[in-house]
Amino acid sequence: MSHEDFKVMIPAHALSALDWTDDRALTDHLAECAECQQELIGWEQTAAAVALSASPAEPSPLVRQRILSQIRSDGESLGTPKIVPFKLAQKNIWSSLGSLGAIAAAVVFALLLGYLFLLWRENRAMRNEVQTLLLEKQRIQKDLEMVTMLKKPGTKLMELSGTAVAPGAFAKLAFDQSGHAMVMTNGLPAAPAGKEYQLWYIVAGKPPMRGKTFSTDRQGTGMIEDQLPAEALKASVVAVTLEPQGGSDTPTMPMYLSSRS
Amino acid sequence: MQPEQAQVSDVELLAAIVRKDETALAELYDRYRVILFGLLVRILNSREEAEDVLQEVFLQVWRRAADFDEKRGRPFTWLVTLARSRGIDRLRSLAARERVALAGAKQPAEEVSDAAADAFASEQRTLVTTALEQLPEEQRRPLILAYFDGLTQSEIAAKLGAPLGTVKTRMRTGLMKLREALGNQSTSFGF
Repeated sequence: MSHEDFKVMIPAHALSALDWTDDRALTDHLAECAECQQELIGWEQTAAAVALSASPAEPSPLVRQRILSQIRSDGESLGTPKIVPFKLAQKNIWSSLGSLGAIAAAVVFALLLGYLFLLWRENRAMRNEVQTLLLEKQRIQKDLEMVTMLKKPGTKLMELSGTAVAPGAFAKLAFDQSGHAMVMTNGLPAAPAGKEYQLWYIVAGKPPMRGKTFSTDRQGTGMIEDQLPAEALKASVVAVTLEPQGGSDTPTMPMYLSSRS
Repeated sequence: MQPEQAQVSDVELLAAIVRKDETALAELYDRYRVILFGLLVRILNSREEAEDVLQEVFLQVWRRAADFDEKRGRPFTWLVTLARSRGIDRLRSLAARERVALAGAKQPAEEVSDAAADAFASEQRTLVTTALEQLPEEQRRPLILAYFDGLTQSEIAAKLGAPLGTVKTRMRTGLMKLREALGNQSTSFGF
């Protein structure tokens, strides 16, 4: 058959009315003929219009429900939930190197922090040690001064004992003829906040004369240099009380240390 | 109804159906259920069978919307072709006894409500119906037998007792006249 023969068959093909042999032959021709394909599109539109001549009819609402139910069922059975696929990150040598660099930097930073912490802790320990050594040095110096003073001719030594409020405490007081005195305490309880110990020189018939205030270390050890009043050179009693910071003009009882047993 | 806008929207709906948008399918169904169901009732003369086929048609649309090619025709043409093809297949699959019974019990399809008829664009239907009625009976009859009964030219010739060549000529002439009657309006009406 010629192209024109096939072209004549196209309207019947659009109506699906061709007999099988004709339909088969035209279908083969359509596969190779663009002109006839285009011709067919036009005839199919005309044929489709014939559908409009049928009386319109309303299907049961159940049809719509069944269709929607079926497509949902299909979606579930096919396992095609609308899930956004997780995208794996693209491997990139530069980003990988960047990541490694970041990790290395973090490690170095952590090491530096650790090293700084060690340095800070060591420094603090050394500062504490220096402070301890300085205090030790001061104590030794005081001890040496005490010894030096005791070696001087005319130096007198007085011992003070702990009272009932400080039974384990004791002190030694050395003083020369000029009234230069040194007191070394031991075993005194730590003074509460806002309080400090104070020396008193008591002469019979006179009010107690105030001496210097001082504090002690954790062992209750204290080293005080003082200048005794002239009257105090003949003092019969030397005592230590706990007074407000800065000292008092009159002693606050009880006494913690006293030269009178 | 704005046919031109609906035409564009139909293409968009089919694209959405390809993306498995259920609401798009529901919208397409709502637009064309009356036309397609009327066509299927006319072919099958059975509401029950027509509803069954209508369901099959829209399930096929759901599963094969990607087959629609805008270059090869409009959505309306594609949908009607699908529905008619399914309807004719069902008609042919029916037992001869049932088919005879159906043929003997041809009844007009149940008319739809005025609102539905409006939605269906009765103007288009009037245009097509008028064009068909203006055809001579010898030309119109082969068209109707082919389109709604799914008969081939040989079957039509046998049914009408006319020579095959005559049936071919009358069928082609009738369809050409229908196209001329619809003319350019077929483009503006979206079919």
